[in-house]
Amino acid sequence: MKVVALALAALLPCLAAGPDVNKGKVLGNPSAPITLELYSDFMCPHCKHLHEDILPAIILDFVKTGKAYLIFREFPLNIPQHALARPAANIATAAARVGKYQAVNDALFKSQQQWGMSGRLWETVAPVLTAEEQKKVQELSHDPSVLAEVQRDVDLGMRANVNQTPTVIVTYKLKQQPWSMWENYELFKGYLDGLLKK
Amino acid sequence: MDFSRSKILKIALLILRVALGGIFIYAGYVKLQDPWQLFAAGVASYDVLPMWAVEIVAKTLPWFEIAVGVVMISGYFFRTASTIICGLLAVFFTLIVRAYLQGKEINCGCFGGNEPISPLTMLRDGSMLAGAIFLCVMAYRNRRTPA
Repeated sequence: MKVVALALAALLPCLAAGPDVNKGKVLGNPSAPITLELYSDFMCPHCKHLHEDILPAIILDFVKTGKAYLIFREFPLNIPQHALARPAANIATAAARVGKYQAVNDALFKSQQQWGMSGRLWETVAPVLTAEEQKKVQELSHDPSVLAEVQRDVDLGMRANVNQTPTVIVTYKLKQQPWSMWENYELFKGYLDGLLKK
Repeated sequence: MDFSRSKILKIALLILRVALGGIFIYAGYVKLQDPWQLFAAGVASYDVLPMWAVEIVAKTLPWFEIAVGVVMISGYFFRTASTIICGLLAVFFTLIVRAYLQGKEINCGCFGGNEPISPLTMLRDGSMLAGAIFLCVMAYRNRRTPA
């Protein structure tokens, strides 16, 4: 029984990370006790708030301390007001393949309102990439495997009951729990700390 | 065997009392399995209480549910227990229906964890409320100790 439990515990990080994890869209130690899968939409203002005001604290408190493994997932909402959310997700996912996910992620959220209004998505992203990376990312953002990867994230989110953005799926000891209450970071921090004490 | 009407009613009351008490004990127990912040997030998502009140509810309600469930099953203070359960279920049901009508895609929070509000949730809680109202009516109608 103990051996089975140990084997399951050893497998857990692999299961949480899964074969569908893009290595360019993760932060932290894959064998951390908690896995956080952040589902967000580049056109969602709450996602911008999370990315700029809360995520740094999560990274500092849990990812850098080895308590949590963070996976970024795309969840472009299928609504007319977010028409550019999926192209943005495609570009970000393509950027992950050249190791520039975080830079593109930051750039997209930083000027979300501007490109959201003007539609100048590429002009927002280009400055954080080199000329060679720009060429690759442009090609990759239309690559079927990148489009499929974005869709896979959406499907994963749907299966995990993600119904709004931003949502973090917290996986601890094989139990998954969606969290989308971001008005109070201390509550989320307390929840993760509480899990780790269990 | 004599299955008089009053005997059947007594058995039905006993089953209902134990079932509702058991459900309350289970609901409280399940919530206590996770850090209180998870239930607090669920309560907060209904947008009816300020954060300080959310914290109090999240920390005390699971214990209260267990206590009232135990009292309900024991048969002591039947009128009080059935009134409390009826009141709690009325509040829960109202909040769930309100959230559903407002189009909030939130978790019910009834049994902890991850259970989005749906017509099925409302049907379940509505049935429990109907059972609790029945118990309450019987408790006030019959002043003697219940079955």
